[in-house]
Amino acid sequence: MIYQDSRTLLEVRGLRATVSGIEILKGLDFTVNSGEVHAIMGPNGSGKSTFAKVLAGHPAYTVTGGTVSFMGRNLFDLAPEERARAGVFLAFQYPIEIPGVANSQFLRLAYNTLQAQRGKDELDPLEFDDFVREKMKLLEMNPDFLDRSVNEGFSGGEKKRNEILQMAILEPRLAILDETDSGLDIDALRIVSQGVNQLANPESATVLVTHYQRLLNYIVPDFVHVMEAGRIIKTGGKELALELETRGYDWVGAEHLEQEAAGRVAA
Amino acid sequence: MNAIAAAGYLESLLAGQPHLPAASPALGWINELRAEAVDRVGELTVPSLRDEDWRFTDISQLTRLSFQRAQALTPLLPADIERFHIAEASNRLVFVDGLYAPRLSSIAADSGVVVTHLTEGGAEHAALIEAHLGRHANFGNNVFAALNTAFLQDAALILVPRNTTVSGPLHVLFIATQAGVASYPRCLLVAETGSAVTLIEDYVALQEAAYFTDAVTEISVADDAQVSHVRVQREGTQGFHIANCAVSLARASRYHSVSVALGARLSRYNLNVLQTGEGAECSVDGLALIASRQLADTHTYIDHARPFGISRQLHKCIVGGAAHAVFNGKIMVRPGAQRTDSAQSSRNLLLSDKAYIDTQPQLEIFADDVKCTHGATVGQLDNEEVFYLTSRGLSDDVARKLLTYAFGAEIIERIPVASLRQQLAQTVLAQTSGQP
Amino acid sequence: MSAVLQNLVNQPYKHGFVTDIESDVAPRGLSEETILMISAKKQEPEWLLDFRLKAYRQWLTMVEPAWPNVKYPPIDFQEISYYAAPKPKKKLSSMDEVDPELLRTFEKLGVPMHERAALAGVAVDVIFDSVSVTTTYKHKLAEVGIIFGSISEAVHEHPELVKKYLGSVVPVGDNFYAALNSAVFTDGSFCFIPKGVKCPMDLSTYFRINTEGSGQFERTLIIAEEGASVSYLEGCTAPRFDTNQLHAAVVELIALDNADIKYSTVQNWYAGDESGVGGIYNFVTKRGLCRGVNSRISWTQVETGSAITWKYPSCVLLGDNSVGEFYSVAVTNHHQQADTGTKMIHIGRNTRSTIVSKGISAGLSNNSYRGLVKVAPSAEGARNYSQCDSMLIGDRCSANTFPYIQVRNNRAKVEHEASTSKIGEDQLFLFAQRGIGAEEAVSMIINGFCKDVFQQLPMEFAVEATKLLGFKLEGSVG
Repeated sequence: MIYQDSRTLLEVRGLRATVSGIEILKGLDFTVNSGEVHAIMGPNGSGKSTFAKVLAGHPAYTVTGGTVSFMGRNLFDLAPEERARAGVFLAFQYPIEIPGVANSQFLRLAYNTLQAQRGKDELDPLEFDDFVREKMKLLEMNPDFLDRSVNEGFSGGEKKRNEILQMAILEPRLAILDETDSGLDIDALRIVSQGVNQLANPESATVLVTHYQRLLNYIVPDFVHVMEAGRIIKTGGKELALELETRGYDWVGAEHLEQEAAGRVAA
Repeated sequence: MNAIAAAGYLESLLAGQPHLPAASPALGWINELRAEAVDRVGELTVPSLRDEDWRFTDISQLTRLSFQRAQALTPLLPADIERFHIAEASNRLVFVDGLYAPRLSSIAADSGVVVTHLTEGGAEHAALIEAHLGRHANFGNNVFAALNTAFLQDAALILVPRNTTVSGPLHVLFIATQAGVASYPRCLLVAETGSAVTLIEDYVALQEAAYFTDAVTEISVADDAQVSHVRVQREGTQGFHIANCAVSLARASRYHSVSVALGARLSRYNLNVLQTGEGAECSVDGLALIASRQLADTHTYIDHARPFGISRQLHKCIVGGAAHAVFNGKIMVRPGAQRTDSAQSSRNLLLSDKAYIDTQPQLEIFADDVKCTHGATVGQLDNEEVFYLTSRGLSDDVARKLLTYAFGAEIIERIPVASLRQQLAQTVLAQTSGQP
Repeated sequence: MSAVLQNLVNQPYKHGFVTDIESDVAPRGLSEETILMISAKKQEPEWLLDFRLKAYRQWLTMVEPAWPNVKYPPIDFQEISYYAAPKPKKKLSSMDEVDPELLRTFEKLGVPMHERAALAGVAVDVIFDSVSVTTTYKHKLAEVGIIFGSISEAVHEHPELVKKYLGSVVPVGDNFYAALNSAVFTDGSFCFIPKGVKCPMDLSTYFRINTEGSGQFERTLIIAEEGASVSYLEGCTAPRFDTNQLHAAVVELIALDNADIKYSTVQNWYAGDESGVGGIYNFVTKRGLCRGVNSRISWTQVETGSAITWKYPSCVLLGDNSVGEFYSVAVTNHHQQADTGTKMIHIGRNTRSTIVSKGISAGLSNNSYRGLVKVAPSAEGARNYSQCDSMLIGDRCSANTFPYIQVRNNRAKVEHEASTSKIGEDQLFLFAQRGIGAEEAVSMIINGFCKDVFQQLPMEFAVEATKLLGFKLEGSVG
């Protein structure tokens, strides 16, 4: 939703990043205001997931240029855990399994760390249990998940729901959902989307990274961006997603090349 | 067994060796390989229970008997072996007591694959043979591989050219017909880049006296090639069967093997799979179904030497009578073989009071970003399952036989050749329903 | 490996100091004369000397085991001193007469020798080099009929018990190192819980190697009679020397009908330095015999020290319905090598065993689980469940699993499972993205990984074990 009195949450200018010496992001510009829902689309290998991970501070990626400010702060001054505590949340494309660490234990530690940061009271295990069970209802999750190890033996859909549960608990300002729809059946997709929609509020924003339009039937974006070769090459409204679904990505690239050529001629 | 008797035993086995005809001039190096193997046999000793590798398998009953290499080809008519034919196989190589039997073999004219044997077609493919024969199966520390190499003569050769998919499986049939004979079957399969082939290695007998099979198989799977390897050991009840198979897997190649051990008084199968290229994938499944006083020993070694390798293994033993099954499966993940994904499972069923099993699944891991699991169970049928079937009206006895059959059938079903699958399913059914 | 992980796994060894105390050290070398000397010094009865000589003669015919997955230069058994003892000023009658230097040593190690300072409800037998220097709460235990003290004393005071049970679980010729121990053992703990007595406090032995060049060969014997129960703790440290020292102990446990013995070890012998120089060779034979029906023996070990560990605390489940348990955490770092596990020998009917083994390897270390589950034809209805998990920190270490499963009974059920996991960049990033720092993340992962074992430890030991691993406990120990 676009609000009149929204403020800028995230401002990305000319972002460049490499992994193992190969440049993936090549001068990316992107702005998110509070209350908005953005979808970043693009073919495989266009750099969408890299962008998400760079924002969260994954150590495998090296930022080589550009600036990112998050709520007025330089994001690159913050360690990954500080970004999380400041309100940047990444729902992972491939959530990893942590055998031996109970989901409830993990969720409570994460929640209490954040509460302490916000100067609020931490919850004891019983209070937290009540709190988390409420959140789980939202995602139609079985409470048994609390006793299991983090993501261990979860199906693909269960892992994704567990990601959204963490988002519900941590109440981030900026939620980046990296391919959250991949591997979900229609029911799971509906439940996950409902969860995301219910968590939306005027203070926070959501960035959906996806390469299918399907998710956008459930979570309606205010803006759709097309990414290719490490840059955003086209931005439009929700109708752009439908166009991409029917026409593919090639035409966007061609149009972009034309514009660039025209730009050069004009210059 | 004492050392002197053991040395004498190897000498007596080697007695027939020097009379082998020389290989063709292009394959002159094979004479050297044989000579090297003869020397190695002289330096090695017969394994005993003191050797970690043989600690559960006592071969003294084998070494008490003496065997000689077959001197002449037993005259068999095609009708004698018809029951062993596999309908889908267009190529069949038959060896009788270790000697090539051209009149029983049938080689399709243009299946795009070279199917031959060393003495006949060796010279034509000398370079390829030299690159592979004896290069995968190391006999430095393996007296039985050394013995086989010392007697290397009528090897089955299968060469699958680049990007060739061989329709229908290739059947290599080894038949034992004479008592007191030692035979040394040898098989080489080279699947070149992008090719695909199914090999059936089949050991059968037309007699019930004691004999000795000492086999070596080498399989090289090049980049992106795929080999399915079905191995059926249905030797005679008094047969001794010791076999070594070495498989080398190049980048993104796939190897699927199903080995079934049904026969022999004593059998030992060593299968070594080495992943030499990235992203190689193998599945290594096995079933040993034995009874009375049989011993079946399977040792497998899957060596993940490169990153992104995948291996899957399910080995099952069904042991009845006073039989003894041994399984030792080692998974090695070498330094640098990151993202290896390996799962191994050993499942065993003991059907009688006197049957017993030794199983050793082993993991050796030298890389940190890997996913490896293994599991082993030894037990009897699940009472819940038996109850479920009896509650539907089956007798306890029938329910148990059915579940025992199903336990073995899980492996048989993985054989990619329908007629062989059906044939073996019948065998398993007959054997499991005959159990007390 | 990330810097955080490095720091967490590379905790310095805190017990590496040497106590300056006058010791009676035997000249290096081993012969029948050495054994006669040890036996004479301890004024032993003839049967014990015969026991030693029989073991020694058998040892001469044996060779060191070559099958463990460990590498070390050959040990020169003639270069070891087989006896070292702090010289007592005079015969001790109370704690106040213990050499103050010794008192300070153990205080520094956190082992209280004064009863008034002791941890509530733990009786301690303290072994310094090869001899027992003191035993706390001895008299209080004697009131309920429990004999607890050094084995040397027991030889004189309860010869019939020692003679009856010594070598009954681990025969003199059991293996190379057990034979060596049987020939030259100098001291150790002896514990006897009479029929029907539940030991009112945890019993504990603290082992300290001090003298350079001496081997430590202690012998522990614990007997729980019908219906008795005891929880026994063992801790070990040694100073930092550049030479390797041999520790070849033998522990024998005997549980009669309905008896219950729980034996917990936190082993923190000096492991050598970062480049693998020095450290203890820990070649130990530990075995429990569940002789009676419904008896139970449970081993729990946290192995963090020693340059090389070769140790398989085992249970022989002879009595019907007897239970054997083995819970182990083995941590190796730098150049440490551990080949450890257990043996569960099922002989009685309906015997049950559980094995939970957790191996953590870091640095260049090598960590192997080796376990045998053997079901004899008589072990009708036997059950075993084994779980062996490995965790790798860094890519230059190794983890191996070698289970041996031998089943001779078709109504037995044996299950073994193993898995491997890691702590790496991706795992730490997940925690960081949820606002949790690396140190806390590692602590959580390690504690989660080990909790099945830590839960088995008595509380004080659980705390000690967690501290040893250098990680916070964070509510995962129940």
